[in-house]
Amino acid sequence: MTIQHAAPAAAHLRNVNKFYGPFQALTNVTLDIPPGKVTCLIGPSGSGKSTLLRCINVLELYDSGEVRIDDQLIGYESPGGKHMAPRRLREMRREIGMVFQQFNLWPHMTALQNVAEGLERVRGLTRAQALTRAREALAKVGLADKENNHPSHLSGGQQQRVAIARAIAMEPRIMLFDEPTSALDPELVGEVLGVMKQLAAEGMTMVVVTHEMGFAAHVADRVVFMERGEIVATGSPREVFDAPSDPRLASFLQGYRERNSLDF
Amino acid sequence: MFSFQTILDNFPVLLSSARYTLLISVLGCFEGLVLGAVICAGALSSKLWLRRIAALYVSFFRGVPLLIQLLAAYYLLPVIGINVPALVAAVLTVGLCAAAYLSEVLRGSLNAIPKGQAEAAAAIGMAPRDVWVRILLPQALKIGLPAIVNELILLVKASSLVTVVGIVEITRMSQSIAAATYRPLEIYLAAAFIYLAINLVIAQAGRVLERRLTV
Ligand SMILES: Nc1ncnc2c1ncn2[C@@H]1O[C@H](COP(=O)(O)OP(=O)(O)O)[C@@H](O)[C@H]1O
Ligand SMILES: [Mg+2]
Repeated sequence: MTIQHAAPAAAHLRNVNKFYGPFQALTNVTLDIPPGKVTCLIGPSGSGKSTLLRCINVLELYDSGEVRIDDQLIGYESPGGKHMAPRRLREMRREIGMVFQQFNLWPHMTALQNVAEGLERVRGLTRAQALTRAREALAKVGLADKENNHPSHLSGGQQQRVAIARAIAMEPRIMLFDEPTSALDPELVGEVLGVMKQLAAEGMTMVVVTHEMGFAAHVADRVVFMERGEIVATGSPREVFDAPSDPRLASFLQGYRERNSLDF
Repeated sequence: MFSFQTILDNFPVLLSSARYTLLISVLGCFEGLVLGAVICAGALSSKLWLRRIAALYVSFFRGVPLLIQLLAAYYLLPVIGINVPALVAAVLTVGLCAAAYLSEVLRGSLNAIPKGQAEAAAAIGMAPRDVWVRILLPQALKIGLPAIVNELILLVKASSLVTVVGIVEITRMSQSIAAATYRPLEIYLAAAFIYLAINLVIAQAGRVLERRLTV
């Protein structure tokens, strides 16, 4: 495949706080996301996982603290300073791919155009170049034969794979996944996780919010457990799943095991 | 006796007056859509003063009868030193009024688009202009198409009001001919037929477009 991965980037969060009105969604979040590794975010619903992820590409602007991609501050011109200029923010976002729970494919475009759109409008490729690269990206997620389908004529798993193709075609240096399989029928989860595993194996920096504990256990390099807007525990999958030191983490995992009654 | 001959005799004249109806409708529609999109962007802006202006605009042009607006444009503009032909004043006014309605249709349609659509575009670094032109407006047009077609049909019919500034379009022409021939029934039927034909074309075009936008 000719889709190259640009050098994977690290991300660093320092004392990040995020408020929605009076409600504090993130409290003093400090987290280092190492380059070329898979970091999984787990935790109960409403614990701030999506908010944390969206602060990394500033779909939500954090209120205080620092978020850096490699050494580059994102969101503000300087720590505690002015908001970053929109143009500069857009430049940084090109390097950060994002995959959403609801896919968010553009329904009025074919799968191919969904992938080519950013290449043309953002990367400035010619139409021919964009289509070539979009086809490569679709081939990479196993959907070369679906390029002319509109999203409504694709299964959920196929839609999410197109969404991944749309992100990787931009050659991001870090990829954010917000519950990429939560909207899928169980039998379609595997094909999406398969593509993600392949990306991980190629050395992409990945931050994955997930309820797929099996994926976290087997693919993650680090697992981060959040509760009430705070990072409660981090560690290797072994440390987190086999010997949870924090009682809140232990009870979260206990609840998960009872609901799913399977081992990981 | 119903005289079909009267209709045939006067139809060419009536039809030629339809060019004003068409001109005002087409230009007014174009102006209404473009300006409507601008007003709608103002209504959805994060800047309070832009939202205020958009709201004021919509409440004025929706709240005052088009007839009054036309008369105001025709009689007031020269007073403040702007001299434009009646036709120009009429097209402008009809378009300004249509923009108020169309901006609301667009606003409703845009609100119906899931937030994730623009987010996905922002996340890959797309500029706001492209997000609007490539992602939001095409979807809003599709959602709003039935309502937009409604507005355009209303606009064609509202164009009859421009007679008050002396433009002889279908309605005015049919009044004159009816008065001259003493054949109001036949003449108004013919006029109705022309309006109906125009609006059927618009409705059909709307249906074709809707089908093409549906995937
Ligand atoms: N736009 C918003 N406005 C107000 N509250 C929000 C908003 N987004 C998220 N929240 C709140 O912030 C908390 C964390 O949300 P989220 O990050 O989505 O959690 P998670 O992804 O872990 O389920 C929740 O209590 C949620 O209700
Ligand atoms: Mg979430």
